[in-house]
Amino acid sequence: MRRTFLGELEEVVLLTVAVLGEEAYAVTVAQELDQKAGRAVGFSTVHTTLQRLEEKGFLSSEMGGATAERGGRRKRFFRVTAFGRKALREAKEAREALWSAMSPDTLQLMTR
Amino acid sequence: MERKPTSARSGAGTPGPARPPRWATRLLASWSHPDTREELQGDMLEMYAYWLESLGKPPADRKYALAAIRLMRPFARQKRSNDYSETYSFSAAMIQNYFKIALRNLLKSKTFSAINVLGLALGMACSLMIMLWIRDERAVDAFHTNNGQLYRIYMREYFSGKVQGVIWTPGLLAEELKKSIPEIEMSTPYSWTNPQTFSVGNKIHKQATNWASADFFKMFSYKLLQGTPEGALRDKSNIVISRNMAEAFFGSAEAAMGKAIRYDNRKEMTVSAVFENIGTNSSLQFDCLMTWDAYTDDNGWARDWGSTDPLTFFKLRKDADPAKVATKMLHLLDKTNRDAGKPYKTQLAMQPFHEYYLNSNIKDAKMDGGRIEYVRLFSFVAVFILLIACINFMNLATARSSRRAKEVGVRKVVGAMRSMLAGQFMGEALLIATLSAILAVLLVALLLPAFNSLTGKQMVLPWSEPMFWGIIAGLLAATGLLAGSYPALFLSSLNPVRILKGALKFDSSSVWVRQGLVVFQFGLSVILIVGMIIIYRQVGFVQNKNLGFDRENLVYFPIEGELFKKYDILKAQLTQVAGVKEVSHMTANPASNGNGTEGITWPGSDPNDKVRFTPVGVGYNFTKTMNLQMADGRDFSKDFPTDSSGVLVNETAVKVMGLKDPVGREINWGRSKIRIVGVLKDFHFQSLHTAIRPLIAYLAVREPQGSVIVRIQAGKTPETLTAIERICKKLNPNVPFTYAFTDQEYARQYQSEQVVGKLAGYFAFLAIFISCLGLFGLAAFTAEQRTKEIGVRKVLGASVAGIVGLLSKDFLKLVMMAIVLASPVAWYIMKQWLQGFAYQIDIEWWMFVLAGVIAVLIAVFTVSFQSVRAAMVNPVRSLRSE
Repeated sequence: MRRTFLGELEEVVLLTVAVLGEEAYAVTVAQELDQKAGRAVGFSTVHTTLQRLEEKGFLSSEMGGATAERGGRRKRFFRVTAFGRKALREAKEAREALWSAMSPDTLQLMTR
Repeated sequence: MERKPTSARSGAGTPGPARPPRWATRLLASWSHPDTREELQGDMLEMYAYWLESLGKPPADRKYALAAIRLMRPFARQKRSNDYSETYSFSAAMIQNYFKIALRNLLKSKTFSAINVLGLALGMACSLMIMLWIRDERAVDAFHTNNGQLYRIYMREYFSGKVQGVIWTPGLLAEELKKSIPEIEMSTPYSWTNPQTFSVGNKIHKQATNWASADFFKMFSYKLLQGTPEGALRDKSNIVISRNMAEAFFGSAEAAMGKAIRYDNRKEMTVSAVFENIGTNSSLQFDCLMTWDAYTDDNGWARDWGSTDPLTFFKLRKDADPAKVATKMLHLLDKTNRDAGKPYKTQLAMQPFHEYYLNSNIKDAKMDGGRIEYVRLFSFVAVFILLIACINFMNLATARSSRRAKEVGVRKVVGAMRSMLAGQFMGEALLIATLSAILAVLLVALLLPAFNSLTGKQMVLPWSEPMFWGIIAGLLAATGLLAGSYPALFLSSLNPVRILKGALKFDSSSVWVRQGLVVFQFGLSVILIVGMIIIYRQVGFVQNKNLGFDRENLVYFPIEGELFKKYDILKAQLTQVAGVKEVSHMTANPASNGNGTEGITWPGSDPNDKVRFTPVGVGYNFTKTMNLQMADGRDFSKDFPTDSSGVLVNETAVKVMGLKDPVGREINWGRSKIRIVGVLKDFHFQSLHTAIRPLIAYLAVREPQGSVIVRIQAGKTPETLTAIERICKKLNPNVPFTYAFTDQEYARQYQSEQVVGKLAGYFAFLAIFISCLGLFGLAAFTAEQRTKEIGVRKVLGASVAGIVGLLSKDFLKLVMMAIVLASPVAWYIMKQWLQGFAYQIDIEWWMFVLAGVIAVLIAVFTVSFQSVRAAMVNPVRSLRSE
């Protein structure tokens, strides 16, 4: 079985889309990352990542919601697919497995 | 639901400077990925507003430009399919789909496909065969290279306001034409082809012989194997023979050149040329030609302007104007003594030679009609039968359209336009037509030998001719378009909403059209059946009609060679033979006598009114041998020496002359007086195409000419014939004995009618068969559609007979209507055909009834085949599934 590798940025973007729910499109994702995650991610990077995630099947998209400030253009809303959710869950589990495998000393050291 | 970006601020009141750099926007508009271009541009505008608010204009501009540059995808192709993709009907996928669907439909209902293909194939095969026949008929005489310049003369005789056409011309005319009309370059007389005896050593054969002028081979393009056109008929002693004749006498064409051949055991002729055997594509048929001068040496009367014998052909100069020549020749005969002392004027007219074969009848002194009528008739038949086959196709296709209706609905809903659907169904029709055409060509190839033997032709399929393929392609296109047009228009007009809702009700107009087509189809069939019945009856009538003489057991053979002088010995010996009852002789022969004379006058005859009598020179015993009845007076008898100037006339002649008490009356023939000694009851001495003409029989006992007629005893034919042959061989050793039976010869005159009758029979059968194929299909379809209804009816107690009646009734109504409508048309057409006979059968009501009954029976049989099957089905089976 082919396992699609979920990169770190991809994981973050995917999570953001999941957080935003119905509101998720390139602009909201970029602003969310800018404000909440405090990372300097360029808009073009966000856009490209979203495209890639859709190509890989983690996201599905749908057009809609044209507004005047967009020059009447429609938005492409993204939604996490079942496959995307599974990938997020697996990434989280892998991380938690690593966390839980940490010795209590090290863990203490890290939380201090 | 309106979704707003979380913190975008660009209200309506915000002043103008909030504009990203225009070059970057343009870059985005034209170089970004085409799949995402729309939302990208919108997103970027929103982002710009966000940056503007949070960072200020210069960084916002910078960020915007940078992102625009980084989002350039100059080599990207559109991957995501457009939401409104265009279907276009000639894309490979669609065409593939059309073929797939067409094939599936063909295979899904094998019976219907078979009916369609078979019906169309039969129709096409029939048309193809008729086309081949017409092509062959039209090709007759087309091989002459001078065709445009060749003409034939015929005469119009005017008398007392009437006009009569005559194709036989004076023998001197050919030479006179060349002398008097400068535009006429060449001319030739051409007599009646008849068998003559030739011998070389001890080889004796009869050959079809004719006579012509030296111009003959220069005018006509008969291929010479030996000799030249110029030298072929230069000298009186020349004879030109066919390859067959050369091979029969000399072994080969080369060996024949310059050799001597004995004609009629009295003249030595020299072979001056050999021509290739004449094929069926020539209307002139002969095995050998001698010169016209040699003919006039033997037949002195042919040098007289007053007598008519040969046909006359001529060739115009290339630059000549036919209309001018026609006016010039009109009164050409005035300067001759042709009409001298006669009450009529003769004018000349001309007919293009290539029209001669198809237009050989004279009607009102014009060349009109003849075989061309059969060409026309069969062209109509070809079109009719093809039409019937096409109607089958249309009917079945529309009737079964409910099967295709869902498909049409779905196609329409996903965007098929009407023209595309029409194209699709038309294409399917063409596909089926193509299959049928292939089958038709195979059928024709298979049936052509039989067709050839029926029509007496030697047609082959002209594979190598582009014309042939053109015809097939034309036939295919015509059939496909005609057959496909109605289904295509009908199916493509269906309303998708109604179809997909599941209720496809045919509106009354489409049902009407379908029923109309069935009526039309059966109407055509009825016309063909009536035609067949009438042709059969007429041919039978002609063959069995009482001719006024007994044509059974009447043998005749030509007087030739030494028989001219030995007739008396011959007669004496023949009467000794056990099976011979009577012997006599006559000019011409008993089956056909087309001679004519106009010199008869009688007391009180109108000098301006010319009556053409048919003269016949006879021997004693003529009436007894022929079994003719006397109406008045007596037969010729040796007891009356004055009978040498006596004549017998027939009743028609008496009527024409208007004599009250004819026997003993004196009348004039030219300048000599003759006396009527007896009146014969009318009898037919020509085919029934012509009415009985006035006949005048005179004694021609001295050196009789024409034929010996022998009445033989019934049942003793073979031994009597051998005895006669033995006697002739002994008396006339240099001439092969040939004889003919009067009844057979008589029947031969109706050969073309018999062929037409047979063909009409076949075509009628075919038409009916194809119509029934269609009816069969329709009946099957109706029965299938009404399965549930039949089930319910049976459950409620309907009988099988009742259901069969119910199902058949509708079709019978149509067939009845067809009969009613077609009968008058058939009557009119056949009335026209019968005009060609002087003696016709009456068209009677029972013929139409018979045709109707045949049509109804066949229709009932066809329909009940399906309806009985439908009625027998156990209702449980038909009602179980819903």
